Amino acid sequence: MSAPPSRDNAIAEYLGYAEIGDSPAEHKLQEMKRRKTRRRLWTLVGIVAAYVLFYSSLLLIEFNLTELAGQLDQFYEALLGYFPPTTYFGIPFIDVAQYVNFIIEENLILTIENGQIVWGAMFVTLAVAFAGTVLGLPLALFFGVMSSERVVPYPFNFAFRATMSLIRAIPGLVWFLILIPLAGVTPFTGALAIMVDTTGYLGRLFTDELEEIEDGPIEGIRSTGASRSQIVSFGMLSQVVRQFIAWIAFDLEHNVRAAIGLGIIGAGGLGLELYIQRQTFHYTEMMACIILIFLLAGSVELISQRVRSALREDDTVEKSGILEAFVNAPRNILASTMGRRGQ
Amino acid sequence: MSTLKVENLSKQFGDVTALEDVSFEIEDEFAVLLGESGSGKSTLLRCINGLTEPTEGTIALDEKEITGSRTDVGMIFQQHNLVDGVSAYLNALTGSLNRVSMLRSLLQWQSREDKLRALEALETVGLLEESHQRVSQMSGGQQQRVGIARALVQDPRLLLADEPVASLDPSSAETVMGYLRKAAKEHDVTALVSLHQVNIAAHFGDRFIGLRDGQKLFEVEREDLSPELIDDLYGSVETVGLADQEETVEGVIAESDGNDNVEREIKI
Repeated sequence: MSAPPSRDNAIAEYLGYAEIGDSPAEHKLQEMKRRKTRRRLWTLVGIVAAYVLFYSSLLLIEFNLTELAGQLDQFYEALLGYFPPTTYFGIPFIDVAQYVNFIIEENLILTIENGQIVWGAMFVTLAVAFAGTVLGLPLALFFGVMSSERVVPYPFNFAFRATMSLIRAIPGLVWFLILIPLAGVTPFTGALAIMVDTTGYLGRLFTDELEEIEDGPIEGIRSTGASRSQIVSFGMLSQVVRQFIAWIAFDLEHNVRAAIGLGIIGAGGLGLELYIQRQTFHYTEMMACIILIFLLAGSVELISQRVRSALREDDTVEKSGILEAFVNAPRNILASTMGRRGQ
Repeated sequence: MSTLKVENLSKQFGDVTALEDVSFEIEDEFAVLLGESGSGKSTLLRCINGLTEPTEGTIALDEKEITGSRTDVGMIFQQHNLVDGVSAYLNALTGSLNRVSMLRSLLQWQSREDKLRALEALETVGLLEESHQRVSQMSGGQQQRVGIARALVQDPRLLLADEPVASLDPSSAETVMGYLRKAAKEHDVTALVSLHQVNIAAHFGDRFIGLRDGQKLFEVEREDLSPELIDDLYGSVETVGLADQEETVEGVIAESDGNDNVEREIKI
């Protein structure tokens, strides 16, 4: 046994820089302690750097707790606006009637005047999505098929692929801004933006689906002496009709959510209504719009998923329950607005 | 009534010689092509059908040279090559594609004659009642019969089949071969069928052509098909020898592996 180590020595040993021990195991132990010391130093540097960045960010955004505290009253008032309280038979509850009144008053869903249907904002959103999808469908089909190596030989199919990649690189929101000079800040431009977006995304899904088809049926059709275009339609496309319809349903679902986002920046419908109510501080009316948005996005998602799972009997489509569809709606709307496809 | 004449046919895939100087002639018969996997059977059939370009030599049907896929040559594939998602009827109807325009075929506006022909072809192979069913829901043997029907709808003069029963159990294999033979007879077409199963071949064939390493080893009538020839063709593999009729079943069971590993190029 050596003499008891001094205090300095104890620290050095703890950090792994003491020259003690002779056996390989003791050496290894010291080496591992050194590694740990270095790791801790790096962690410390990381924490300090993150703190500096965080602090500068707070300065930049003028983060101010006192202001937050000062505004709490106002936020509380807004909350009362979002969820106006009332009592039913003495039990306090949200005043649902206020939402309903606003929805009817502003004709957010639809009304019938003199035997004629007047479509409301909800249907405008739906129409932007549906029209955009249908307009984009032939383009998606064209680009999707032409991108397939089996239809257009190798280097040339990349021209079509590249076009679709370029379209996808720009989010639908930005496409709307780009197309405003063409048709103004209108639902029409919204539908055009969705058309472009659909060409890029749905076309890509079609191409992917075509990659997986089998050669057998193509050859079978070829052996009958069919023409080239007949080989493409009967040998190739006939293999993927069901998958294509399923993807169209998926894309429509995505486009409804995207149309809500486009509405906020001016493409009309529920999104625009929501934006107007926020600008005029009508919190109850704002919440009424949000509720309708939930209902719309959730129901379209439900229908689309049911259609898809019915079409792809063997494939597994993730099916969400009714509650799940509505709970997930906000997250999915956001994802679709930013141009990502989630389910 | 038709004559298939193959003269000095050769096919090379890069350095590999799949067929070398093959010549034969068949006329209004049910001819069977025998040989090991890789002996060139599939390549020969694909050349005749125009799915593969031969390197050298000519193929003529009734004195007229064949180039490219053509409608009067019907082809039946080992893996059926049907469109799975649609009905047997629509698959059979694709046999008439070359007779209609793109638009009409897309809208299924084939003539009544063609539609009836498709159903009659399905009747020939015993599937009239099932013709509305999706092909993917059918058994392997039924799918192959749909394949025969599609070839018949082409109204061919020559029927080719590339190991049509290789992936089927012995009983379905016999049924399918029975229908194939019946179809060829009823429609009065020359047939050339490649087979692995020597006993099935001996049971159904009129004429036998043996291929080994891409070369023709023999071409004989039914009465001249001897166990010695078969031994020559397959080497001394005991289970494939031409057995006495009582031993057939074992022979059939032993030989039902599948694919020729011939390089496949799919282009359209």
